[in-house]
Amino acid sequence: MLKKIKPKNARSKRELQKREPKIEENVKKAIFIRSSSTSQIVNEALSDLCKLKKPDAINFTKKNNIHPFDDETSLNFFCEKNDTSLFVVGSHTKKRPNNLTFIRMFDGQILDMIEVGIENAKSLNDFKTSKCAIGMKPLFLFNGDLFENSHVHKTFKNILLDFYRGQSVKHINLSGLEHIISVTAINSTLEQSNDPKAMPGLIYFKVYSIKLKKSGEKTPRVELEEMGPSYVFRIRRFKFANDDVYKLATKVPKINKPKKIKNIDVNEMGDKIGRIHLGKQDLGKLQTRKMKGLKRVAEDYEEEYIEEIPTSKKQKV
Amino acid sequence: MEDSTQKSKFKSVTVEKPIPLQYDLAILAGFDTNALDESRLKNDTDNYLEEYTRDGTQLIINQIFNLPIKSSELGVMAELPDLVTVLPREKPLPKPKPPTRWEKFAKVKGVQHRKKSKMAYDEATGEWVPRWGYKGTNDDGANDWLIPVPDNAAKKERITKNEARNRRNVEEAEIASNQSKGLNGVNERSLRRAELQKQIIVSKTATASMGKFDKRLEGEPKLKGVKRKFEPIIGDVKKEKESSLNILNKVVGKKGDIVNVRKAIAKRGQ
Repeated sequence: MLKKIKPKNARSKRELQKREPKIEENVKKAIFIRSSSTSQIVNEALSDLCKLKKPDAINFTKKNNIHPFDDETSLNFFCEKNDTSLFVVGSHTKKRPNNLTFIRMFDGQILDMIEVGIENAKSLNDFKTSKCAIGMKPLFLFNGDLFENSHVHKTFKNILLDFYRGQSVKHINLSGLEHIISVTAINSTLEQSNDPKAMPGLIYFKVYSIKLKKSGEKTPRVELEEMGPSYVFRIRRFKFANDDVYKLATKVPKINKPKKIKNIDVNEMGDKIGRIHLGKQDLGKLQTRKMKGLKRVAEDYEEEYIEEIPTSKKQKV
Repeated sequence: MEDSTQKSKFKSVTVEKPIPLQYDLAILAGFDTNALDESRLKNDTDNYLEEYTRDGTQLIINQIFNLPIKSSELGVMAELPDLVTVLPREKPLPKPKPPTRWEKFAKVKGVQHRKKSKMAYDEATGEWVPRWGYKGTNDDGANDWLIPVPDNAAKKERITKNEARNRRNVEEAEIASNQSKGLNGVNERSLRRAELQKQIIVSKTATASMGKFDKRLEGEPKLKGVKRKFEPIIGDVKKEKESSLNILNKVVGKKGDIVNVRKAIAKRGQ
C-alpha cells in the first residue's frame, strides 16, 4: 500500500537528502547538451558557456536527439537524473542555424525556455588574455531599455541572471570581483535581418575581466579587458511559464519573510515609541466652556449618571 | 591644493548618466536603461561596448565599495543587501513532515526535548568520561577478559515493536495527506482492510491449483476476476480507427519511421 523508494545504504540516503526540496536551495546546476546536429560554432559556444558556469555545470559532449520545443521528456529525465534545473541545448539546422536554447526547470518540468541564434561568435580561446578563476561570482550589466520594457527580453535577462549568479551569499570578497557579463540589447532600425524566424533586434553578450586600479579615493578605478566569449544573439522562439506555475515557483518561504512590526518605531534619541488605538472619541461628551445658561437640569444628570462610562484619552506610551 | 594634484594623477571614478542605473547588489547586477548610440554600436561595436560597459562596471563597483565593509581573515568583505530580482525556485517549498504519534503526544503534554551532554561525571574516579562508547560510563565489565554472549531477545523485541510503530506512523501520515487532498473516504481502518483483503487473495492463489480446490469458509466473499469485454463487430467506425491508430502509434512510435532506412539499405546491398 505504501511503497516508497527507500535508500538501501547510508551513502545513497545522504545523496537523496541533498536532492530534497529545501528552503535555502542548492546552486542551480546546468547541463550543456548538443542536439542531433551541431556546428563548430555551437559546440564551442556550449563548451565556453559551460566554462563560465563551472563548477556547477556538466558538459554533454555526445549528441542527443533532443528538440526541447517538440518533446521535453528526455529533458525531464536528465533533470531528475542529474538534479539539474538549467539546460542549454545547442543545435544547427538549415531552418535555424547556430541555435542555442536556454531552458529553466521547476519541479522537474520546463518552466520557460528561450531560443537564440548565434549571429557572430568569438570563443574564449580567441582572446589571448588572462581568464578569471573557476567558480568566481560574475558581475552583471544589462544595457538597453529593452530589458525593462520587452517581456521577452526581461525573461531572457532573468534566465541569464539565474544561470550565472551562483550561490547566494551574504558577503562578497572585494578582491574576488574578477569578471563582468555585459549584455546589451538594441532594437535596431538600421540593420536588416536576414533571419525571418527571429525577433527584430540584437543582443550582444560579452564577458570582460575587471582590473581594479588605484584612484586616490576609496573606490578603485575600473579598467576592462575582453576575456571572451563574445556573441551576438538574435531571439527566435520562446515559451514561458503560465502565471500559476510561475507564482508557485516564486513563492517565498514564510521563514525568510521578516515579520512586519506595526506601530512601533524608534525616534532620534533612541526611544521606542508605540502607538495604541483607543477607539473613536465621543465628541458629545466633550467638556466645553462652562456657563450657567448651559447647565443641565438635575433630572437630566441622573439619567446620564447611570449610563456614564469612563471616557478614554489619547495617550503616548 | 595638494589634494587636487594627487587626484589628477589618477583617472576619475565618477561616471555621469542621464538616467541613474538600477542595481541588484545581492547578485552584483546593474541595469542600465539609457539610450544607446545606434550608429556607433553598428560601426564601432567592440570599442563602444567596452567603453559603455566600463562606465557601467565603474558604477556597480562604486556601489559595492560603498556597502558596509568588514575585514576578516579571508580579506575585505562587503555585506550584500537582500535580493530584489524575483528568481524562480528550483523545487517547490518543502512540505512540513506530519507529526508522529509521539510528537503529537509530546505536544499535548508539553514534553520538551532536552539535549544530553556527551560527557558525564564519573563519581567513582572523579573524572569526566563519555556517556557511552569507548571508555564510557556504561561499558562496565566490557574490559573483562571474559564476558557472556549478550542476550539480544529483548533488543530484538524492542526493534520489532519500534518498526511496527514506525509503519503505523507512515500509514497515518499517508491518511492525513489523503484527507488534506480531499480524499475523505479513505480512513485508516478501511485502508488496512483493503490491504488485508488483497493479501488474502494473493495467498489464496498460492497453491498448485491456484486455489481452485480449497475449502471455502462460510460467508467468504466470492472472488471477482477481470471480466473480458468485447466491442461489437459492426458499429463505431471512429472508435475502431482510433484504437487501431493507437496500436500503430505504440508499435511504430511517434517520431520513428515505419521503415528503418539504414537497415533497409544494408539489406538491399546484400
